[in-house]
Amino acid sequence: MTRILLLLIGLSLGSALPSNAAGPVTVFAAASLRGVLDDIAAQYDAPVVLSFGGSGAIARQIAAGAPADVVILANRDWMAWLQSRRAVAQGQITTVAQNRLVVIGPADAASITAQELPARLGDSRLAMGQRDAVPAGTYAREWLTAAGLWDALKNQLAETDNVRAALALVARGETAFGVVYATDAAAEPEVSVVYEIPQGLHSPIRYPAAALTPDGQRFLDHLAREGAAAVFASYGYAQVTP
Amino acid sequence: MTMDAAAWDALRLSLWVACWATVLAVPAALWIAWVLARKEFWGKSVLNALVHLPLVLPPIVTGYLLLLAFGRNAPLGRVLDTLGLGLAFHWSGAVLAAIIMGFPLMVRAMRLAIEAVDPRLEEAAATLGTPRMAIFARVTLPLITPGILAGAVMGFAKAMGEFGATITFVANIPGQTQTLPSAIWTALQIPNGEAQAITMVLLASFVALGAVALSEVLARRVARRIAGT
Repeated sequence: MTRILLLLIGLSLGSALPSNAAGPVTVFAAASLRGVLDDIAAQYDAPVVLSFGGSGAIARQIAAGAPADVVILANRDWMAWLQSRRAVAQGQITTVAQNRLVVIGPADAASITAQELPARLGDSRLAMGQRDAVPAGTYAREWLTAAGLWDALKNQLAETDNVRAALALVARGETAFGVVYATDAAAEPEVSVVYEIPQGLHSPIRYPAAALTPDGQRFLDHLAREGAAAVFASYGYAQVTP
Repeated sequence: MTMDAAAWDALRLSLWVACWATVLAVPAALWIAWVLARKEFWGKSVLNALVHLPLVLPPIVTGYLLLLAFGRNAPLGRVLDTLGLGLAFHWSGAVLAAIIMGFPLMVRAMRLAIEAVDPRLEEAAATLGTPRMAIFARVTLPLITPGILAGAVMGFAKAMGEFGATITFVANIPGQTQTLPSAIWTALQIPNGEAQAITMVLLASFVALGAVALSEVLARRVARRIAGT
């Protein structure tokens, strides 16, 4: 018994000793960042645990004290909400990536203009994230409203619980077109971009991040470096502009 | 559209879907429960497993399988679509999802009630020369009515609460396929959406309690009628 106790004490001392090395990092991130963060985590010099989910779900988990070192969201409103709850310190927020919105169709589809969309849709539907709940859906509604298409299309939407589900609907041919992030379109060979949505017609799509611990700050610093930026670019994210 | 209007739309749609699902599923569930309780046949355990599958599968899998089977791209879905009966992204698809998810609960309650019927009562009626259908209607049915009601209420409650299969199969379109659970989920995805969510949570609880209370009243009335005759 004493021997086991001594062994346990020894083990706990041993594991506490190398405190200079980088500790493992737990990252809570928006689901659309899967892929790019998997790649970056594989290059990082310490173990990275990635937990993906919707921005709202993650923000609530962080506010409830989830054991995260870094939080990266797809939506500035949720980061502001975390700030208002004092779960994230003021001035701690950086932007790690920017994205664009595109209209996608089947893999072999030809380009269209925005005004052609209702006619080309026919009796099919336009897949997009849910207008209120999913950030990509909110951006899509902003664009459709700004382009004067909302009233024509609002009864022909297939609103999904996340943007990847909208991508999958178009990839499977369940809907003729969809509105997703450029990075989603790039990740799915079964779809092609038929229209690039002008960025001025919706709020800027930014991924705000905040570190909750020093280990987390170290990971965020890594994201801002050249190597990580190149991985973001390879997935189709736009360069972060101040 | 304000969230309150969306909440009422969602409540109305959920009630509509749940009523349709219950009305359509009860006769089928009763038949299956009868077969499982009274008949012996090859493949009975397979049928039993199939009926119970939605209970143990993750709801999102059921929704995905429905989309594969009844989506606009599936052969079955295409046929229904040309008949104007397209289910995907339509409230009728939510009814189908609710039926499938609630079916095992209905069958279980009804099967237990059927198995609890003393066969000697039916045999006694048969010895008096009563036709089989009349025995079912006048002996068996009154005895299992509480079980049918319990199953119907379970199915109704499941239909009101179904989320995973519904949102996967028919999406989350306000005013068209946004059921109460989808609307609650939506509100919780919006910063400071708790107040709206809580309004809808109260609505949902109120309906659920009402359904249970109604079934209690009905069951008691049935019990009194059986005791009285």
